[in-house]
Amino acid sequence: MSENSYPHTLSRKRFNVRNQAALLMILGAVFLLALGSVYLSQVASFAITNRAIEDLILQRDELKYKNAQLIAQIAQFRTVPRLTLRATNIGFRPATNHEIDYVVIEGYSPSGGNTFAEAAKARAEQAPEPQYDETFGGWIQGQLASMREQIEAFGSGS
Amino acid sequence: MFERSSQLATIHARLPFVIIFLILLAGYLVVNLANFQFFPRSVRQEMERRGSAVTSSTRRVAAERGQIYDRDGEPLAFNSLQYRVGVSPSLVADASSLSRKLALILDIDEFELQQLATSDKLWQFIAGPISAKKGQEIAALDEISIDLERIPKRFYPQGALAGHVIGFVVDEDLKGAMGVEGAYNDSLAGRVLDLSISNVPVELPEDLPPDLRGQDIMLTLDRDAQFWVETELEYAVLDSGAFRGSAIVMDPRNGDILAMANFPALDPNSFLEVDDPNLLLNPAINEDFEPGTTVQALTVAAGLETGAITPYWTYNDADKLVVGGYDIWNRNFERHGVIDAAHILVRSVNVGAATIALEMGAENFYSMMRAFGFGQITGVDLFAEESGELKMPGDSNWSESFLGLNSFGQSMQATPLQLITAFAAIANDGLMRQPRIVRQAISEDGAQDAQPITIRRALSQETAKAVTNLLVEAVVAGAPAAQLPGYTIAGKAGTARIATALDYEEGYNSSIVTFIGYLPADDPQIVILVKLDRPDDYYGYQVAAPVFRRLADRLVILLEIPEDAVRRNLASAASMINSAGS
Repeated sequence: MSENSYPHTLSRKRFNVRNQAALLMILGAVFLLALGSVYLSQVASFAITNRAIEDLILQRDELKYKNAQLIAQIAQFRTVPRLTLRATNIGFRPATNHEIDYVVIEGYSPSGGNTFAEAAKARAEQAPEPQYDETFGGWIQGQLASMREQIEAFGSGS
Repeated sequence: MFERSSQLATIHARLPFVIIFLILLAGYLVVNLANFQFFPRSVRQEMERRGSAVTSSTRRVAAERGQIYDRDGEPLAFNSLQYRVGVSPSLVADASSLSRKLALILDIDEFELQQLATSDKLWQFIAGPISAKKGQEIAALDEISIDLERIPKRFYPQGALAGHVIGFVVDEDLKGAMGVEGAYNDSLAGRVLDLSISNVPVELPEDLPPDLRGQDIMLTLDRDAQFWVETELEYAVLDSGAFRGSAIVMDPRNGDILAMANFPALDPNSFLEVDDPNLLLNPAINEDFEPGTTVQALTVAAGLETGAITPYWTYNDADKLVVGGYDIWNRNFERHGVIDAAHILVRSVNVGAATIALEMGAENFYSMMRAFGFGQITGVDLFAEESGELKMPGDSNWSESFLGLNSFGQSMQATPLQLITAFAAIANDGLMRQPRIVRQAISEDGAQDAQPITIRRALSQETAKAVTNLLVEAVVAGAPAAQLPGYTIAGKAGTARIATALDYEEGYNSSIVTFIGYLPADDPQIVILVKLDRPDDYYGYQVAAPVFRRLADRLVILLEIPEDAVRRNLASAASMINSAGS
């Protein structure tokens, strides 16, 4: 070790301007890293949610079509020839005019009355409407839980 | 040394040119650079399009076609799915396993499928359209190389029931043709949308807007009534030896068509298999014919309305009347002597009808025939309605003999719907309602009711009542086969000769028979028309009247129309309840 090295080493120990800049840069980098990870976490969260929404839309469409198929199938089973045949097989026959008794019901009209659409509308009105009840605290908790899940998923390598 | 200084002098002399050249070149580059920053609009749009193509793609989404229901909500037309199957060979991991699985589902040769799966093309078509069930079985394989394309399909669960009324759709775009599908295509089809799908996962996936879907349509048809009318009509056509037939049931109070049937019928599920394209037409509205002697009832109504005759009017009938040089004969050359208007309708007296037309005069007669709707469409909401033909005085091909011939429905053309609409006007106290087939249109915004439309007042209430009384007599004495015990029926049987290029057909199966009647006569709730083409027997009262009775017998139960006596008792019971309540 030379004679000059000691004071030089001592001088390096001092907390000079260069060290401050380096620390600031490190702090900045850490901050940016944190910000970036929050951003990435949010983006990943959005992407996962959107993928889930997309899947649900597809699933809904598929169910809608399957539902329509079932309704059509039911309609086929309920065609008049089928119903007539079934009724005949179990012993029914068409009524004649003399076998029918008419009674007076106030407000009843065979050609009027509620239509199919009106009945459907009444059913829809009875169904409860979804309520939006999310709070800011709840939203924060949701975000933290989502971040935690992602970190855990990242940690487990899945 | 001298040489070097000479070179320097040359360089110095040329340098300004080089500098100027470089400045110009730089200027040119700067100008081009500036130009590059300010593109023409079309270029910018193209670049934006290319840019957005990286982050999003456009998909054309056909709207879901609206459904069709009968008046009670029974489905008549529905949307179903079919699939088209393709394979991307480059993505196939195990071609033999995939081919085996597909072969089992599609019932296609496994070797053939393997060849497709190992092809060097980017994409290979395998099969389609295939049923939704098979498509979903293939989807369950969860194979990334298999491409399933949805193909929308229109399905008519009731088969041939009301096929002509409902119509059908053509192409993969499901474009409506004929019937309600054709007439309401714009409402049923909904809105085609070019949906922009983002390739960036952070953008929320776009769902289809709810108003994209076509409107649902509820018809005035009663499915049960339609079924019985079709069943009875088929039996009638086969039993009578007729070539074909049509039947319509209408509510005269609002113009609702409760049933409209034709035989042979059309199954919209398999309209492509129909050999004769004429069978795709709805004869009840798309084809006209010479309506024959049912028109005598309208001539009598016109005579009463214009004052040319009264209910007590009589005349001395001979077997023949010459009008405009044309001999008009009675049925079987009968001579009736002194008879009244009721007798004209009972015995279908052509000479009597022609006499009334002559007494009215051409102007009044044709004005009334137009009021009854002949020669013009009824405006029913079905595809491609025919207007028929009624030649008028002043038309180049009209002659005076037409006045006589038209009075009993010859030398004019009308559709079955025009005829029943005219009779429905008499049944509805002279007020003519526009026939309608759609009762309600249902969209995301709610249901919209179709309101009854009054075309015009064809007759006064008094005349309509008087004509109804005459028509009741016409059934009792002229077409007793149409009578239904317990009900008073007003109606008129009709027989029409079939025109040839020169005259009229003669011999067997050479007539078109009809019966139009309504009941109960004092409070009409339904009007029924039966038409049979070329039956073995010649006259309407022989062939069409019994069919009317059989139809009425079933319809009064389905549509809850009690017998006259029961109806009156119910009416008095209802008024007692009302008075007790008030």
